[in-house]
Amino acid sequence: MSDALRDLYQQVIVKASRDTSRRGTLAQPTHTATVDNPMCGDVVMVQLAVDGPTIRDARYQAQGCALSLASASLLVERIVGSYLSDLRTLDEVFREVLAGVPGDPIPEELGDLAAFAGVREFRSRRACATLPFDAVLSALRTLG
Amino acid sequence: VRVLGRPEAALASFVVDGVHAHDVATILDRSGVAVRSGHHCAQPLHEFFGVPASVRASLGLYSNADDISALVAGLHRTREVFA
Repeated sequence: MSDALRDLYQQVIVKASRDTSRRGTLAQPTHTATVDNPMCGDVVMVQLAVDGPTIRDARYQAQGCALSLASASLLVERIVGSYLSDLRTLDEVFREVLAGVPGDPIPEELGDLAAFAGVREFRSRRACATLPFDAVLSALRTLG
Repeated sequence: VRVLGRPEAALASFVVDGVHAHDVATILDRSGVAVRSGHHCAQPLHEFFGVPASVRASLGLYSNADDISALVAGLHRTREVFA
C-alpha cells in the first residue's frame, strides 16, 4: 500500500469511522443543523447542548465515507466540554492544515484530528473531512 | 463486492459491503485504476438499490487483462484497509 493511502486511512480514522459512542440525538439540544454535500451524498446532522460559553454535550448522525464519519466522531468527541471560542479556533486550524501541503507542520492542538493531515494529498477528499465542521458551525448559527 | 443490476455492457457498478464508494474509489485510484464513484446523477436508482453510492468501472478498447488484475488487486487492498 502506498504511504499516501496509509496516511489517509490511518487506524485512528478507520476506528473513529466505526465508533458509535457519540452517535444519536440529545434529549434537549439547544442547537441543531444538518448539512450535506450533494456532490457525493454525505449527510451530517449535529446536535449541541450549549450552556453559556461551553458546549455541554453533543451528538451526531451521519451517512457518508470513512473520512466524514471519522471527522464527525472525532470532532464531536473533542468539542464536548470545550469553549465555543476554542471550537472556532479549532475549525480555523483544521481547515488551514487541510489547505496545506504534505510536510507542513501540524499544530499539536489538533490532537486526534491531526490524523486528517493525510487528506492534504487528496484534494478531492477535503470536503469529506470538513463537512462535520460545517455542520457544527451551522448549528451554532441557529437560534438557541 | 456486490454488482448492481445485470451488466450488459463493458461496465459494472458495484458496492463493497461496509466501505463507502468514495473510499473504494480513492484506494482504486492509488492502485492505478480510475473509476467513477457517487450517485452518477442517478439518486433515485441508488435509492432503489438501497445503497448511498456506488463505484463504476468501465472498459475501453485499450483495456487489457492487466487492467482487470489491477482492479481486483485494488479491491483486495480496500478490504485490507477496512479489515
